Amino acid sequence: MKRPVRLEPGQKLVLTANRLLDGRTVWWCADGAWDLHIGRAALLDADEAEAVLARVAGEAQRDGVVGVYDTAVQAAVPPEPVTVREKIRAHGPTVHPEFAVETEQ
Amino acid sequence: MSIPVGHYQYDRIDRDFLQARIAEFEGQVQRRLDGTLSEDEFKPLRLMNGLYLQLHAYMLRVAIPYGILDSRQLRKLGEIARRYDRDYGHFTTRQNIQFNWIRLEDTPAILRELAEVDMHAIQTSGNCIRNVTADEYAGAAADELVDPRVHAEILRQWSTLHPEFTFLPRKFKIAISGSPNDRVAARFHDIGILARPGEDGAPVFRIFVGGGLGRTPVIGEELFDSVREEHLLATLEAILRVYNAHGRRDNIYKARIKILVQAIGVEAYREAVEAELAQMDLERYRLTPEAVAAIRSRFAVPLLEAPADADAVLAQQRREDPLFDRWVRSNTHVHRDPGHIIATISLKPAGGIPGDATSAQIARLADLADAYSFGEIRITHLQNVVLGHVRKDRLRDLWLGLSEVGLAEANIGLIGDIVACPGLDYCALANARSIPIAQKLGARFADTALQAEIGALRINISGCINACGHHHAGHIGLLGVDKRGEEFFQLTVGGRAENGAAIGTILGAALPEDETVDAIARLVDCYLGRRESGETFLDTLTRLGHEPFREAAYETV
Amino acid sequence: MKLFELGERTAQVHDVLVTLAELAERDDARAVLLESADDPALLKPYLNRLDLVVLRFPIFRDGRGFTQARELREYLRFSGEIRAEGHILPDQAAFLRRCGVDSVVLPKDGNGDPALWEKQLRQFPVAYQRSVLPERSVGPGLRVEEAP
Repeated sequence: MKRPVRLEPGQKLVLTANRLLDGRTVWWCADGAWDLHIGRAALLDADEAEAVLARVAGEAQRDGVVGVYDTAVQAAVPPEPVTVREKIRAHGPTVHPEFAVETEQ
Repeated sequence: MSIPVGHYQYDRIDRDFLQARIAEFEGQVQRRLDGTLSEDEFKPLRLMNGLYLQLHAYMLRVAIPYGILDSRQLRKLGEIARRYDRDYGHFTTRQNIQFNWIRLEDTPAILRELAEVDMHAIQTSGNCIRNVTADEYAGAAADELVDPRVHAEILRQWSTLHPEFTFLPRKFKIAISGSPNDRVAARFHDIGILARPGEDGAPVFRIFVGGGLGRTPVIGEELFDSVREEHLLATLEAILRVYNAHGRRDNIYKARIKILVQAIGVEAYREAVEAELAQMDLERYRLTPEAVAAIRSRFAVPLLEAPADADAVLAQQRREDPLFDRWVRSNTHVHRDPGHIIATISLKPAGGIPGDATSAQIARLADLADAYSFGEIRITHLQNVVLGHVRKDRLRDLWLGLSEVGLAEANIGLIGDIVACPGLDYCALANARSIPIAQKLGARFADTALQAEIGALRINISGCINACGHHHAGHIGLLGVDKRGEEFFQLTVGGRAENGAAIGTILGAALPEDETVDAIARLVDCYLGRRESGETFLDTLTRLGHEPFREAAYETV
Repeated sequence: MKLFELGERTAQVHDVLVTLAELAERDDARAVLLESADDPALLKPYLNRLDLVVLRFPIFRDGRGFTQARELREYLRFSGEIRAEGHILPDQAAFLRRCGVDSVVLPKDGNGDPALWEKQLRQFPVAYQRSVLPERSVGPGLRVEEAP
């Protein structure tokens, strides 16, 4: 059962998943692609997110991703996840700054 | 090829089996990619082969049966870390190693590399009988009655792709020890087995059932006091059969055997097991002396020879070098041979990540094992490494070699020897990060002289209620909880996994992450201030009760 | 419904398949369907007239059917056909066979490809524990293979 999404002011939703082939964390972009960088994620309003999520989740096998879900972000540039868990997914393990997603080659 | 010391040597039949398992898994990956297997179907199948999908990548957990490796296997693990991962591996609380940055598409190739050295990832996860753990000092400790590794290997083989018990209600963990000093946390396992010598020369087994940590920590209860060797497998089959048929499947949090044992009581469970045994064709399940002997013959025994003055040389070196002496005091254990000693290598450098080792350190450990301990390495459930048979007069050379790669930390059993799960930095189940708290605590108590002054004190950290960091069993336990997306830690005190197993008591409300290290420092200060001569932390806690410690933890400045 | 035979026994077709509860009132029933929570020991009074016991797997992860099959063979000495149906995977073929199951109702999706089931039956040359099948030792130790 999905909990109703309650967003604080200034927050939006993004869609995220892991890539099937290598497991990497990816974020859903407006053009339908999945990207390693949350900075390219499409920002969704709460009322549209449900329909988009259902559609994108239905294409997970074709897109080669696993476990599509939505999560709240502060709608800044780049967007920043609200929870510690999603911050870590977006940026990499805090105990290995050298593996930060942003600076990865 | 010579037979390795300390673990079973595969033959062609075992290797063919391993290749078949890899081919099977490769086919499963292919079916997942082409969509024939859904993720819901693939997930249990990949978990049974140790492959998780974590926050950033796949994680592969490789089995180290009963915690024993040979140097060639350890070198291979280092190579895998270098080639397929990010140059490091993480040793777990169940004597396994896991790699954090694995690609699904690489996994069959990794499994083939592991098979080259008779290793695999079979049943390191999933709702099946997991990799069997054993005493890290097996075959070496002076206090041991029976070397449990031959029977651990028998259990490994018996449980491998068991046709009836591969889709259990939940995971199933077995530990076995042959020492009166419990070093395997036998009573915190689904089945804990303590071996001792029987009258006819074959061992007999005391069997505990229904222990575990996790959401509902329970101390295992004795099911049988003396199971004969020939009936060991029949008895385990009967215990598992009752569990498979009656364990709950409607709620994963109530699906472990401990919940069933608690629900019906250990007497009823025993009756149910005896009813199974009465119907079973015991001859079919009989563990014959011939089978035991055949498996035993695949283990090499170290030829322990030391010069007569080995002990005197060590004593002299300890007098001359106080730093070495401190390491010997905390990091060694008495060997059954007077010329040898057991050395524990700490993977807990101050401020480091508990249980992590770089591929360079892994390679060096393999070299040191070859030079000092018959090429045999043990991984402990406290995330350290043991060289089991070191000649006393060569111990200092080993210590110097360890120092060169930052592995000479003198903190085994002390406050710096922190056990921690990977936590929210990696794990998809976690609620909070375990490693940063461990690093901060390690840095806070970095001074090894201070650690020695504080004495025996175990800190265990779990990032969620699944309790992979065994926080319930820590003298001080930390459990990470999530409060509205923020990390908090709940403190427990008084847990222990060794003899007199106990579950820690929760001190009070969870603390914010940034107040946790200070609270623990106050707990330690409370102990140091109020201990009486010779008392450990647990002794003082037992004498004073929890209240002074609760007050110290929640005291605000 | 497509059947796949895990061993030599030819799968039978039955018009009447009753539940455990219905069995007492249906003297003509020769085939019974066991849910995964059903106790096979309750079949004891009827075993002589039963030709077929069907074990229904609600989901492939529910492994109770393996114990049910083994109890039927090992404790109740049932010599008729045991069949598995429901959500089962070809990856379970050898496990089913080794617990005493003779046939499966092939799943309707990609998991129902008989070639996958065939392949899985032959995947492993040996096993490390005894099953209900006739077996002989392979090399020293616990390893066995099926006796021809």
